[in-house]
Amino acid sequence: MTAHTTHHHVHTHELSKTDPRVKLLAAKIKKENHKPDALIEILHTAQNAFGYLPKEVLIYIAQELKLPPSRVFSTVTFYHFFSLKSKGEHTCLVCTGTACYVKGAQALLNKIESQFSLKPGQVTPDNKLGVAVARCIGACGLAPAVVIDNEVQGKVTADDLINSINGKIATI
Amino acid sequence: MNKIPVIIDDKSFEVDPHKTILEVCRELDIEILTMCHLKGLTDIGACRLCLVEVEGINKLLSACTTKVAANMVIKTQTERIKKYQRITTELFFADRNHVCAVCVSNGKCELQNLGYKVELDRIRYPHLFPQCEVDTSHPWYVMDHNRCIMCTRCVRVCNEVEGAHNWDVMNRGHQVRIISDFNTPWGESSTCTSCGKCLHACPTGAIWPKAIVQGQLEKNPGMVNELVERRKMKL
Ligand code: SF4
Ligand code: SF4
Ligand code: FES
Ligand code: FES
Repeated sequence: MTAHTTHHHVHTHELSKTDPRVKLLAAKIKKENHKPDALIEILHTAQNAFGYLPKEVLIYIAQELKLPPSRVFSTVTFYHFFSLKSKGEHTCLVCTGTACYVKGAQALLNKIESQFSLKPGQVTPDNKLGVAVARCIGACGLAPAVVIDNEVQGKVTADDLINSINGKIATI
Repeated sequence: MNKIPVIIDDKSFEVDPHKTILEVCRELDIEILTMCHLKGLTDIGACRLCLVEVEGINKLLSACTTKVAANMVIKTQTERIKKYQRITTELFFADRNHVCAVCVSNGKCELQNLGYKVELDRIRYPHLFPQCEVDTSHPWYVMDHNRCIMCTRCVRVCNEVEGAHNWDVMNRGHQVRIISDFNTPWGESSTCTSCGKCLHACPTGAIWPKAIVQGQLEKNPGMVNELVERRKMKL
């Protein structure tokens, strides 16, 4: 394959600069020197942080690595490890990275299981709520951290978490 | 350059080293069926139509990606080869939804011609009848996945010659599809320059211009190599 400059005029749905997951991803891309060869590793980092690969994240990665969008999408769909969709209308992503694990991520997962009968990777029968785990979302100082829909919440207790989730589900 | 001796279909020839079996055969007017090969593009050996037998090697080799070597004994017309060519052709037809009678390429299609070449009278494999999209979002061209044989000539011409890399391949197995950008409509592509090269590179009626009447499509796949050669001259 020959190297080429590619023209990108992708309309970016802005990723929030304050989202720790975006910062984590940006740091990883920088560490890899924006090398296109590092695509798979960078996708791994993104999936581990977001629980899946949202379109905005793929657009961002394509731009940062100067890779054609179709090349990025091709790679994502080639490996079963990557997923393009979050499960459920609302999602609760529990960080199970080292810091969060130490600060009680498991207790959060236990509570979710007892309250909603959901294990990580599962979704309620009405598809309202899906639960996923991430490996470090870049908010270790706020451990244990969760992301409900797109909102990062730090130092959460099991009860806070259930309240937040119930709040989100109620807003449809 | 020193020529090397090879034997093709029991005849001796002196040929250029560094060339593929396919290139050598084409120069000697020895017919080899191809589909994913298009002169001017990088060969990928994907379609398995150009298989040849080489003495001393048990498995069949793709002529488009295998270089000739001194004293190679090559066979291009054996029953084994013909059997595989037929299977490959039948699978092309069974994998997607090809209805020649209503196709823009009817009468001028490389796949249809291949069917005649291997004397296809029926298809022994069950048709998969996959659900395929027809993308009409581009102002000038249509991409009909029903007629795509996944040769990736469009992908390579767009990347290697036009430098745009609009197309690529997504998924695996029966779910493979050609995609534009993020599997988004072609008309919304951020990379396509609307140059039309993919249309000419495409061997079937999968990519076609809107301003065309059924069966009237004239493609010019040879333009790809002409372009590549002309650019080389400039350099
Ligand atoms: S028209 Fe040109 S740029 Fe657009 S997809 Fe086809 S080959 Fe690529
Ligand atoms: S669209 Fe045409 S050129 Fe592209 S892979 Fe399909 S058959 Fe080949
Ligand atoms: S381990 Fe949870 S944010 Fe780093
Ligand atoms: S033409 Fe050689 S493998 Fe397709």
